[in-house]
Amino acid sequence: MRVSFSIKKIIFIPVLSLFYLISAAQLKQPYEMNIEGVKVIVQPGGNEILEIQTVFKGGVQNYAVGKDGIESLAINALTECGTGKDDKNSFKNKLDKVSAQVYGSSGMDYASFNMNCIGSDFEVVWPLYADALTDPRFDEKEFNRIKQDAINNLKQQASQPDYAISKYAKQTAFAGKDYAKIPEGTEESISKLTASETKEYYKKLLTKSRIFLVVVGEVDRANLESKIKAMLSPIPVGEPFKLKKEPYSPKQNSFISQKKDFATNYIQAITGAPMPGTKEFNAFSLAMRIFSNRQFLEVRTNNGLSYAPYSYFDGGLSSSANIFVSTTDPNKYFTVIKSLIDKTRKEGFKEDEVKNMKSTYLTSYYSKLETNGAQASAFASNEVIHDNWRRALTLNDDLKSITAANLNEVFNKYVTNLTWVYQGDPVKVDAKLYAPGAEKKTKIQPSKLKTKKKG
Amino acid sequence: MKRVQLLILSCMLASFMYAQPRLPQNYYWQKLDNGLEVVVIENNKVPLATIEIAVKNGAYTEGPEYSGLSHLFEHMFFKANKDYPDQQKFIKRTEELGAIWNGTTAEERVNYYFTFNKDSLPAGLKFMNAAMRFPIYRQEDMQKERPVVDGEFQRAESDPGFTIWYECQKKLWGDLVTRKNPIGDHNIINTATPEKMMTIKDKYYHPNNSILVICGDVKHEEAFSLAKQVFGDWPNSGFDPQTKFPIPEFTPLKSTEYFVKETSIAQTPYLNFYWQGPDYRHDSAATVAADLFSTILALNSSKWQQALVDKGLATYAGVGYSTNRYVGPISIFIVPNPNKMKECYAETLNQIKMWEQDDYYTDEQLADAKQIKYRDEIRKKEKPSSLPSQLTYWWASTSLDYMTDYEKNCQLVTKADIKKYIQKYISGKPYVAGLIINSAMNKAAKTDEFFKPSL
Repeated sequence: MRVSFSIKKIIFIPVLSLFYLISAAQLKQPYEMNIEGVKVIVQPGGNEILEIQTVFKGGVQNYAVGKDGIESLAINALTECGTGKDDKNSFKNKLDKVSAQVYGSSGMDYASFNMNCIGSDFEVVWPLYADALTDPRFDEKEFNRIKQDAINNLKQQASQPDYAISKYAKQTAFAGKDYAKIPEGTEESISKLTASETKEYYKKLLTKSRIFLVVVGEVDRANLESKIKAMLSPIPVGEPFKLKKEPYSPKQNSFISQKKDFATNYIQAITGAPMPGTKEFNAFSLAMRIFSNRQFLEVRTNNGLSYAPYSYFDGGLSSSANIFVSTTDPNKYFTVIKSLIDKTRKEGFKEDEVKNMKSTYLTSYYSKLETNGAQASAFASNEVIHDNWRRALTLNDDLKSITAANLNEVFNKYVTNLTWVYQGDPVKVDAKLYAPGAEKKTKIQPSKLKTKKKG
Repeated sequence: MKRVQLLILSCMLASFMYAQPRLPQNYYWQKLDNGLEVVVIENNKVPLATIEIAVKNGAYTEGPEYSGLSHLFEHMFFKANKDYPDQQKFIKRTEELGAIWNGTTAEERVNYYFTFNKDSLPAGLKFMNAAMRFPIYRQEDMQKERPVVDGEFQRAESDPGFTIWYECQKKLWGDLVTRKNPIGDHNIINTATPEKMMTIKDKYYHPNNSILVICGDVKHEEAFSLAKQVFGDWPNSGFDPQTKFPIPEFTPLKSTEYFVKETSIAQTPYLNFYWQGPDYRHDSAATVAADLFSTILALNSSKWQQALVDKGLATYAGVGYSTNRYVGPISIFIVPNPNKMKECYAETLNQIKMWEQDDYYTDEQLADAKQIKYRDEIRKKEKPSSLPSQLTYWWASTSLDYMTDYEKNCQLVTKADIKKYIQKYISGKPYVAGLIINSAMNKAAKTDEFFKPSL
């Protein structure tokens, strides 16, 4: 249902999905080790690719307001600003020779530093990976270069409407909280960062109390243990670290807009959702997937209002439900989506929908198991968010007992007040429709929202 | 007599063997009596099956009066057919099958694919058959789907990357630009009729213009048998659409063209260059040399990356070539450092001028690029559900032999081959150069003073 313009480019995107299982029939049993006080999760086998991830817990909780982007820049600097043994060019040239990928990213709940290579190149790539992780150089000239690139990337992202509306929704809903911070940073925050400050930040981040490793691929256990032990040995233990979980619960409907010269209009609603670790969590993920299918039928098929209507459950440490659309007719869209939400609340979900969705889940789970990188990411996210990487193995069983009644209960509990954000032509949208009685809010900026509390 | 029979048999066998395309291990091919090619890929990593049908259709078959209608047709595939007469029933069936599904429309291929549990293969093939052969086009469905497809267009237009791409295509392909633009024309999309859909179906949707790929945890004998049962009575058209409806040849670009597109949606500038490159029909050797050259330029050690990215003149500088049956474009995509626009542009031209020099890259870099191609092949095979789409791309734009021999042929490319490619298609040849930028940045950078032809 989409148009392709360039098919030959192969893009590797780390997938941070929460829902996976393990196919015991096809893969060897995963196991856990404790090396130097650090948890190491290993899934042997799979294919010729080897994926290793070092995960740093915390994400946006790790840095203060105004320091947005520092973790992202620090992780990027590991490969872009030289290491103890290699300058940036020497490091990257060595990776190029075996077409290996060593890269990292920092998100809302955690950062990860990954290596992905052909299994037979392990001995070549591992020393580079370990050196980058434990002995980054933070060369100042290279740091200034990646800072400029980071700012340019922010501008590029701001030019992507899907990204922009999602960021706008988060900043509006979570104003004043950790989740309003932007892992990629802002132009202002990035431009103030220095190499020495970022290096110091990384030094504090790299502690045994915050990290764990995930390995997916065929690698000799003794060899792996010995290499990881040598890498972890010099890393300090650090202070005990506990992640915070912060729920979101809007007290009323609200609407806020920004004028953008797009060819269409982008709208997102955000509201509360069950927190990780609750019994409601899995039922809500099924509910939002079914709701997304219903939204597709109602908004796209029956009313031709959008190419891209969808809903999703963002099941992170500050979980949220999200309803998204791009449309040229925002007012008609609201009538349709409001009616759909009301109908779903009133009439609920059907047992056959729940049964079918469980089946689709299984397909989606297996399709994500196809790559070792995606599988490693599943272990990582489950370990950070649910404190239980094995949840990735049991989800199929966990879902079995869930009924339509569970979905009805949880949907009605959480999908109530909606925080609407809008980017596009302001003339085309009636704010009063989206948030009756709250129209004054349409003028305010996200940073000021936390002061506007109404019962 | 017996010897004669044996001779005939061996001749027939030889002829049959000759007709078999070369294929990778675990790939199996048959052509049904009606001309439908069927490829089965056995891969039991996960217990899923993916089925895909691809058709030699897409932008390249579209004159101005049909611009974008291959894409609309692709959308209508998922709407209604004789077994599932409306989209609600269609989608419900995909849910019952636990299927993940989609379709894409590109320049030279339209494809449709479903991934589901391997046990759903027989039902999935029947489902695909109903949608492929017995679609229903209702005026009211068309009316609802037109704004959906147009909405996809508008989303693309909200992205500066698409905008500059589209502007470049208009200049690169002239009167035949519709043959390279799958997203099409707003007016044509918005006035499309069921009759036009039937015209496309009658011209291109025949077994002898299509390929079916079945991939996953399947056995080839059983899969071929199922394919024959389900698709065996799909009648051959009695003509070859590719010869009956010939594609006009693109006119070589007569002169170099420059343009600057000012738009507020471009938060940071993008710089594009395009040349008309080789195609599979006339110069397949150059298509492989082109890919090797692009790979060399992506090496961190390349003069190109060192001059532009390492020196901080650009955040990204990529060179690419798209293998097409009908003239593939050679492209440069640069995200310049907005503070060094002039230097970035000058250095880009400087580098292009040096491309054909014998010492522009080293033998070692060529060897590294070949190693990357070798490992790329391993990586591409990691995800079984992606294999059908990879195969059908090559089938539509080149051949299955080309696909199978591709990596081996990459290893045979010499510096002379690459030089020949650069001299024939780039050095001294007319090109299109475009810059997309917002007004404030454009004024600050004074692009009108330096963004001019000088190659």
